[in-house]
Amino acid sequence: MAEEFNTESMLDMFLYESGQLLEKLEGIILEKQDADCFDDADINEIFRVMHTIKGSSGVLMYENITKVTHKLEDVFYYLRESHPDDVPHMELVEKVLAVSDFVTAELDKLKNGETPDGDEKELVEDLDEFLGRLKGEIKKQGIQMPQANKHVEPTQFYITPVAGEDSHFYRISIHYRSDTQMSNLRAYSATYALKEVAEDLLYTPDDILSNEASADVIVAEGFHMLLQTKSSKEEVIALIDSSEAEEINFDELTKTEYGNALGEFGREQPAPEPAPVKKDKADAAPEKKEAPKPGDYVVKTKEAGKGKTLAKNQPKQQSIISVNVEKMDSLMDLIGELVIAEAVVLQNPDLKVPGLELSNFQKASGQLSKITTELQEVIMSMRMMPLTNVFQKMRRIVFDVSRKLGKDIELEVVGENTEVDKNIIEHITDPLMHLVRNSVDHGIEEDPADRTSVGKSAKGKIVLEAKNEGGKVYISVKDDGKGLNKEKLYQKALDKGLIENKPMNEFTDKEIFRFITLPGFSTKEEVTEYSGRGVGMDVVVKNIQSISGRLDISSVEFEGSEMTLVIPLTLAIINGIVVQVGNSPFVIETASIKEFVRVGEDSLIHEPSGEEYIVLRGECFPFIRLNEKYDLPDSIDKIEEGIVVVLEHEGSQVCVLIDKLLQEQEIVVKPIPPYVKKVKGLSGCTQLGDGSIALILDIAGLLMHDGERR
Amino acid sequence: MKILLAEDDFASRKFMDKQLSRYGECDVMVDGEEAVDAFMMALEDDEPYDLACLDVMMPVMDGYQVLKAIRDIEAQKGIPKSKRVKVIMTTALNDERNVKMAFELGCEAYAGKPIDVEKFEKVLTKLGLI
Repeated sequence: MAEEFNTESMLDMFLYESGQLLEKLEGIILEKQDADCFDDADINEIFRVMHTIKGSSGVLMYENITKVTHKLEDVFYYLRESHPDDVPHMELVEKVLAVSDFVTAELDKLKNGETPDGDEKELVEDLDEFLGRLKGEIKKQGIQMPQANKHVEPTQFYITPVAGEDSHFYRISIHYRSDTQMSNLRAYSATYALKEVAEDLLYTPDDILSNEASADVIVAEGFHMLLQTKSSKEEVIALIDSSEAEEINFDELTKTEYGNALGEFGREQPAPEPAPVKKDKADAAPEKKEAPKPGDYVVKTKEAGKGKTLAKNQPKQQSIISVNVEKMDSLMDLIGELVIAEAVVLQNPDLKVPGLELSNFQKASGQLSKITTELQEVIMSMRMMPLTNVFQKMRRIVFDVSRKLGKDIELEVVGENTEVDKNIIEHITDPLMHLVRNSVDHGIEEDPADRTSVGKSAKGKIVLEAKNEGGKVYISVKDDGKGLNKEKLYQKALDKGLIENKPMNEFTDKEIFRFITLPGFSTKEEVTEYSGRGVGMDVVVKNIQSISGRLDISSVEFEGSEMTLVIPLTLAIINGIVVQVGNSPFVIETASIKEFVRVGEDSLIHEPSGEEYIVLRGECFPFIRLNEKYDLPDSIDKIEEGIVVVLEHEGSQVCVLIDKLLQEQEIVVKPIPPYVKKVKGLSGCTQLGDGSIALILDIAGLLMHDGERR
Repeated sequence: MKILLAEDDFASRKFMDKQLSRYGECDVMVDGEEAVDAFMMALEDDEPYDLACLDVMMPVMDGYQVLKAIRDIEAQKGIPKSKRVKVIMTTALNDERNVKMAFELGCEAYAGKPIDVEKFEKVLTKLGLI
């Protein structure tokens, strides 16, 4: 019953198609921005895009969009027909982008339910002027002028419905005094009055006029109405005759509550989303595969107070459905809970009674684990989206900003088909945008001579790269610009009092680079339009951390910098090994474990400063005793008795000492609640099968902490 | 101008009648079959309608069937394209496919409900009715 239909309305379709076309258009433009001119295929394609948008906006009567696209279509018509030489390519690119921006802005307004009222005049005049020059050029070059582009006025129109967003939903119950005569007629007059303002009206009992006995029902149980209307509560109340009424209950409902309440009033199908008028909305979701035909919408004779039902009950099969992201999220949460519940069952302490015959149970539980794992994979794959769109936006930003700043920059994009979780895409778009802007604005040198003098090509280069490795997504923005100057960064951070006052050589390179992510730090003296307000890098880091990712910065002065966002592929579930130290369980992500070893005291190296190292097969690794680090009592101190786990994170290794291994299991990562102080080296927590809470070790954090100590 | 309005829902009918009566004489029908009958009668009396506003979800025949019937009758009688009645569908069925189908069946405009009165009037102008 609770299905929601989301069929594409005419307007949605227009928005979707036009959006797609514009994206394609920008793709072409940005790809060819540096070429000398568009080739025939591009010209044709741009012409076709403009023609299509012009046509559909004409049908929908968005006249400003029609005019603008019509003009640009004309421009490309002449280009296509006459092939003039020496077209000012850059100017043309700018014109196309201007039109694309204008239309995008209007489409956005439509998406937000506003009127597309942008003023097209200036843009049209601009295009006219350009077209005039183009025509002059064609004449001068002695090419025959093509016949004027004939513009066919649309003969069919679609009138978009007025936005139904501000509808109110009410549940109204009238209880009449017990001695009320003919309460059914009073109820009818109430419905009659409400029909004036109603977009939808349902009532129960529904046979008030035809069945006199309904009067008794109304007196006994009250008269209930569901109303959808644009009118306010006061207006509606004023319409209802309350003379004989003992009590009128008036509740405003949300759209969802209203949808749920429809069932109580005997409507069989919940109303599909955007249709705000009663009669047409019940069953307004025709089958997806089969196109509607005349005759599909004949209605049965309408029963009073009920929604219409279609005579022909249409089967509802859909090959593709759109699903509300919230529902996906709650499914995801539920699966997370299921994984925990599974662990609670499979590792139930009751099963640990000695002598139990469990082989059948083990088989069944194996099956269960397999299914839950598959379930997770399925939900993950449903949420995956390629980064293509995000990267497309970046192309535009590089283009815009570099033009504005007068820098010559080439953008190379690698791995744009990498897929990541939809949630993550939402979270990284802004940070990525900021990084790209920074690279263009601060990274690449202003004066090409500064580049050539150190042996680089005059043209700057930014590489945007995404890759998927070991359950993480790496998105890097790499420029071959001037790089970060460590001394400058250090001095600046010191001057601004952002760091402790200690000599520069006590900071590692990475730490120094990380200064730029401190709040209030901005290396550029002048604030520009695009970056450098001193808010930004810290916000970037915050955003990335909120999805448990991190920002890695590396840079070589005069050669360039690389900013890498490292983000988990999935936020929710990891495969982990549960280990025990003292009485506390810890979880280590399986992917970061290199090996478990038992070593003797003789492999240990003690530094005078208190640090310890382990030598394994001739290699030396830093060594951390978790029990000491987190002050855990009753744990093993002797290295021979415990187990050493070698952990790897991006090429650097660290060893930790644990007491014993407990099990391997799927871990549902929950963030450490905010009321717990942030502890270094821990990234989250989870619930184990026996109900206890285990902390998840964050290898990067351990390494970093270890690094800082030194 | 002579207008045919086919609409079975009372509230919508009242609203449309009020709107359309500003432009001319408006005959109101409550189901699809009546609408076709009325159209036929007007043709026979040689007083054809200039505009027909058809709801889609109606008893007996739906708006698309009415539209098809009207266009078929006109074709059969050899009425030239320019003399055909202008048809505006009025419905909350705003699926792109429904709209496209109606266009293919030969309506002049397709108005989503609730109807945008301003744009509706604009369309009447574009269709040369007012």
